Amino acid sequence: MATLTDNVNVNEAAIAAISDRYDEPAWLRAEREAALRSYAAMPFPTEKTEEWRYTQLKRFDIAGLELAKAPKDESISERIRMRIADSDAEGVMVHKGNQVVLKQAQIKEQGVVFTDLRTAVREHEELVREHLYSVVNATQTKYTALNSALWENGTFVYVPKDVEVELPLGAFTTADSGGIGLGRTLIVVDVNARLTFLDEYTSEPFDERLFFDAATEIVLKDGAKLRYVSLQNWSRNVAHMNKLRAHLGRDARLESVTVSLGGDAARAEVESRLEGPGSESEMLGLYFADEGQHFNQFTLQHHATERGFSDVLFKGAVRDASSATYSGMIVVDPGAQKTDAYQTNRNLLLDQESEVVSIPQLEIAANDVKCSHGSTTGPVPEDQRFYLMSRGLKPEVAEHVLVTGFLHEVMSRVTLPKVAEYVERVVQAKLGVPGVKEKL
Amino acid sequence: MSDKTLEIRNLHARIVDGEAILKGVDLVVPRGEVHALMGPNGSGKSTLAKVIAGDPQYEITEGDILLEGQSILEMEPDERAREGLYLAFQYPVEVPGVSIANFLRLALNARREEGDEIGVMEFYQKLQRAVKELNWDESIIERNLHEGFSGGEKKRSEILQLLVLEPRYAILDETDSGLDVDALKVVSQGVNAARGPEFGALVITHYQRLLNYIVPDKVHVMVDGRVVRTGPKELAMELDQKGYEWIREAVGA
Repeated sequence: MATLTDNVNVNEAAIAAISDRYDEPAWLRAEREAALRSYAAMPFPTEKTEEWRYTQLKRFDIAGLELAKAPKDESISERIRMRIADSDAEGVMVHKGNQVVLKQAQIKEQGVVFTDLRTAVREHEELVREHLYSVVNATQTKYTALNSALWENGTFVYVPKDVEVELPLGAFTTADSGGIGLGRTLIVVDVNARLTFLDEYTSEPFDERLFFDAATEIVLKDGAKLRYVSLQNWSRNVAHMNKLRAHLGRDARLESVTVSLGGDAARAEVESRLEGPGSESEMLGLYFADEGQHFNQFTLQHHATERGFSDVLFKGAVRDASSATYSGMIVVDPGAQKTDAYQTNRNLLLDQESEVVSIPQLEIAANDVKCSHGSTTGPVPEDQRFYLMSRGLKPEVAEHVLVTGFLHEVMSRVTLPKVAEYVERVVQAKLGVPGVKEKL
Repeated sequence: MSDKTLEIRNLHARIVDGEAILKGVDLVVPRGEVHALMGPNGSGKSTLAKVIAGDPQYEITEGDILLEGQSILEMEPDERAREGLYLAFQYPVEVPGVSIANFLRLALNARREEGDEIGVMEFYQKLQRAVKELNWDESIIERNLHEGFSGGEKKRSEILQLLVLEPRYAILDETDSGLDVDALKVVSQGVNAARGPEFGALVITHYQRLLNYIVPDKVHVMVDGRVVRTGPKELAMELDQKGYEWIREAVGA
């Protein structure tokens, strides 16, 4: 069993260095220090704790890593340039190391704030102070505590009441050197406002190992609507840890999709807390682990009040001695009557050397609810394979078709066609479909 | 017989590690002819169809299948298809997330050399012709393969694929089952469109009804894992009138 040890670089001096460097307000420094205390008080997860039982923790080890510094090279890769061009975004930002290397936005809608978190602390201090740490904070896990104490920059979006941002906004996070990278996205969508946001993580391969700890906080006020995409396609020398959590007000709606394709190991914790009556949360997920990758997904649908609707669909495939785990929880509080909550996890196991663990769970404390969960794991159905081959498709082509077809159900529900196309292209590249390039 | 025939020679087969189902089938379908294969339920007709296509659920214990003189027993299902064999399934499977158009393009390209993929125009013309032949709406090609299809639509899809892939030999496994008269006419029209000197077919059916629309050159009757009688198309009528018991008694099976 792996035992994780602490990192000597995570300390008060590191906080002081960041706070001093950016001349941070006292409240933020105090928050960081409190987060560090939580971090220090919290043990590292072990595989004995239920939440981490099937996580290969050693692959998320931070011992000996230094905090991320400025990038060696501030240039933006061709891949990211193409992704930006392809995203139709009104505003994009590129984070590299601890720097913002690109920020461009021409947002026509009034009053929208889209900037890096560092600038937001200076220019929109009250907004940031009100919402930062309100959703993802140091009380949750060792890694949210680490992020809360030591994040250096990130992305901030605020959409004012009744404003609909028509085109997507996006943040691309990349790196060219190892260490501990910390990313933070804070999205606040005010009453009856609308937004589409894309968070993408990608890099060209580099020598050192990078542990990236991402925190995504989403605040949806009454009637707010957000489409959110988290697309992880790091190079294989990266371990990615991500907590993505949303709080939903009355009649708010979240449509999220979390995609894990790259990196050596990745854990995505995707959580919604339905706080306002009538709120809706759709959480989609797609993962495809190959060549020994290890992907962990956790979902939480927390119905804290009545008449909420939530639907989780996570689908994944594994091959080449890889592993994937899914664990999902629906929690319905005592007062959350008329809840509708669904949770589905389906996995394709493409060889005997790979492994899938799927654990759907329910905790229901109300009596007038509709809840269901389901999980399946198995190989490609033989009758489908035979059918395709009987039309002349070679076995490997039949497998490509069946895997992409299986995962397509998730992407077909994402209302951003270009994102869906890109994800399908990366999947095809991983499968080795001839003529498709995207592999890292 | 070797040239331009599909020949089944003393074929014995069973479900892997199960009971024998085919017990010495002999049958020859020349290219350019359409033969009917009839027989009571459980006589082994569908098993024969799947065994010819290479279904891994079955194993062959004796005999041979010769495609234009060449044994195909060692060939995988995809190789058999590329050699010009086609099975229209009795129960076509649903394959989610794959459109009919994409699937057929892959199937056609599987028959061509790498770098010689079919052109977009040529492909769509081929597809449109086939869709039209079956009085179908063109939007069908963008639908996922059999996802949410009715039984009749699935059967029609099997014939659509046949028209696009242009096999040398097709086996139609109870393509008429579950079809109403109108659908039966459309499907038959499709099969008849494929008929010609370069196309041979074995049409498996339980009822004579289909053979009013697809008129066979010969009729074979299968009972208990063997072809017990072969005759002209009138044999089908006779069977329809007298029933399969008549044949059982006639051959002493």
